[in-house]
Amino acid sequence: MKSVTTKNYDIKLGVSLYSYQDNYYFHKHDLEGCIAAAAGSGAQGIEVFAEMMMPEWPYISDRFVDLWNGWMRRYGVEPVCFDHFSDRGMWKNKQLTDEQMVERGKLYIRTAAKLGCPIVRVLHNEHIGPGVSPYRLTDVKIVEQLLPLCAELDIMLALELHAPTTLEDPAHHQYLEMAERLGLPYVGLMADFSMYEYCASTADVGLAIRQGATPEILEFYRNSQREAYFRGEPFIYEEIADQIEKLNPNDVDRRFIAMQNRMVGQGPESYETLKQYASSLVYCHAKFYDLDEDGQVDNIDYPKVIQALKDGGYKGYLSSEFEGNRRMNDAGWVDEIEYVRRHQKLMRECLEK
Amino acid sequence: MYDKHILTDEGARSIWEDGKKVGYCVNLKINYYRGLPLCCVDEIALTVDGEEVDPATMYVQHNGREYPYLEILSDDFPTDFYWLFGEKLRVVVKKDGGIEQGRHKVKVVLKTRRSYTPTMVAECEKELTFA
Repeated sequence: MKSVTTKNYDIKLGVSLYSYQDNYYFHKHDLEGCIAAAAGSGAQGIEVFAEMMMPEWPYISDRFVDLWNGWMRRYGVEPVCFDHFSDRGMWKNKQLTDEQMVERGKLYIRTAAKLGCPIVRVLHNEHIGPGVSPYRLTDVKIVEQLLPLCAELDIMLALELHAPTTLEDPAHHQYLEMAERLGLPYVGLMADFSMYEYCASTADVGLAIRQGATPEILEFYRNSQREAYFRGEPFIYEEIADQIEKLNPNDVDRRFIAMQNRMVGQGPESYETLKQYASSLVYCHAKFYDLDEDGQVDNIDYPKVIQALKDGGYKGYLSSEFEGNRRMNDAGWVDEIEYVRRHQKLMRECLEK
Repeated sequence: MYDKHILTDEGARSIWEDGKKVGYCVNLKINYYRGLPLCCVDEIALTVDGEEVDPATMYVQHNGREYPYLEILSDDFPTDFYWLFGEKLRVVVKKDGGIEQGRHKVKVVLKTRRSYTPTMVAECEKELTFA
């Protein structure tokens, strides 16, 4: 069961422990319990971030590393990715300098190496598209200064490309060009499946309704997105805007629609482009918010996304990143462990098809 | 979202010295999916029974140490004292007479900075039993 690698693809499955955040926050499982849950779902790889589940951060001791290595062995898994954050806005009136950002970046890289993680997800300045963050995050100049250490420790920096940005956005390619110029190929692209959302997730719809949105408006909007996708056409909001207005949307409805129009837009990014980029990607976040009764992700076409990665020769991990917890836990307990188990099953089926 | 859970009903009580009440405390949990350095707290605003608590009387207890609340808001406060994900931060209000034992309405507004989006604001109001 453990090994999913067969002749026609070299893709492995992992779990980002982000997926189990409620289990940790509410003390149902500690870090070891979360690793056990990931292993139990059939995954081989573990993605972790220190600020969530490693209380010693930022000073990870050798004793902890021994414990960590013991867990990796006991549960038959391997560390895959360590997440970097760009906390520049440390104080009210003062921010970290670029020099300090470089130092913090190195801390993440050294810690990843200590824990045996070959990849560091770097929170780069354009990860959700340029101009969204209130602070300048880890930009190309900072990454440039991190690459020599990456080369020394054999760590790959993964630029997480999150909706509404795209694989082709030159904002990301400037990092690759810089690395190539320096002859330090230690930064690569990482696809977050949020780029392939074709409609609003039921998790988001439910949350908005609990916050006061109008169920009929959200259902109509979501159905219009879905119909466009399954017709194979882009979703053009302007075509339904009049009908939405006739239903008298309130502020919550408007915020929901504006967010969806920005994040999902006209539909998923091109699968053909994903196929073209697949062999150069270094990592993937298999993002999901909810599963339908057939076990499919309710707003991302996993069979198509995974087929494109296979056809394009992606080599690496797909790590489950369940984000439904944050969208549904206001209404009660969200069974993250069960969600991840079903998600891993779905991905295995897509791979073996 | 953890907004509903940032104010815990655990450990709310008066603080005593020499047989007298000198203050009271509540325990908070973070409004985010990871721990943050204490210096990334932008604001903790407490209202008890409809009255705003004076920030100058508030103290934060973390890892066996106590800091005046206003001090953690100051520029250059250390960046390596982490409010751990899922763990309680004890907020002490120094007040002669403490708080009357029993139920009180407590509201907290917690603002934290996480750099890649604007400051996160969480609000939670609960009736807590103070010991």
